[in-house]
Amino acid sequence: MSSQTQVEETLDLSKFFDNLWVTIVWDDPVNLMNYVTYVFIKLFSFPKEKAHKLMMQVHTEGKAVVASGSREEMERAVAQLHEHGLWATLQRDDHGRS
Amino acid sequence: MADPKSAEITITLSNDELHILINLVEQLLELLGEANFIHHYQSDDPFAQLMFAAMGNIQSPVEQPEDPVLRRLLPNAYADAESSAEFRKYTENSLRTAKQKHLFYLRQQLLSAVEKELMKADIQVTDPSAWAIAINDLRLALAVRLDIEQSSYEKYELMPSGDPQKPLFAFYVWLGGLQERMISNL
Repeated sequence: MSSQTQVEETLDLSKFFDNLWVTIVWDDPVNLMNYVTYVFIKLFSFPKEKAHKLMMQVHTEGKAVVASGSREEMERAVAQLHEHGLWATLQRDDHGRS
Repeated sequence: MADPKSAEITITLSNDELHILINLVEQLLELLGEANFIHHYQSDDPFAQLMFAAMGNIQSPVEQPEDPVLRRLLPNAYADAESSAEFRKYTENSLRTAKQKHLFYLRQQLLSAVEKELMKADIQVTDPSAWAIAINDLRLALAVRLDIEQSSYEKYELMPSGDPQKPLFAFYVWLGGLQERMISNL
């Protein structure tokens, strides 16, 4: 394997990560805790425990990443969360840098 | 709903509760831009007046809505304005339509109950998920109008009984209970 190939592979990998987006759900004082859990299970097919844990993270930390993937996938997820009345945004995955 | 168990939910509402709910549903439908129906009640109802004191016109889908209720129901999808506008351009109308669909369904269920002219009417909930979503949107709308925050229950307790917002606040709390019951059946 030449060193040139290795460089190209590294570049491809960074490009892949730049194309990763995340969906964030933000805390609000209105949505009921069991409703938020229900929406996570319904939209993302999470097991009940995982949905509950993410809901608690939103509640206590103010936000939680609930999905990651392509920009198009995250736009669909955000649209569905908005339809269910949750406050959600999408952004490029910063890999925990912020 | 596919689940036959879900179809067995029955909600009992008094005539007053039905009246207030239908009124709120119709006001929210109107705010979302669907004025193409005949209101079941006259909208001189004080609840409706409280809620939609600041009712705005329908905005161009690229701009964030001016009305704070619509801002909450149709929120920005991105932190930056440019991406949000682009997203809104392609999605806001379908989001409005989806919300209207849930509210129309709830309105239909309530109207069939009201037609029975009983003191208390039983409603066979055919789609509890749509109920939960519609009630949640009503609660979000009320919460914006009432300035609800985390500590709002204490705020309610401290409200003098003559405060004109107190009945609306009580209704907001009541709606939370109704939604809770709906979710526990899902």
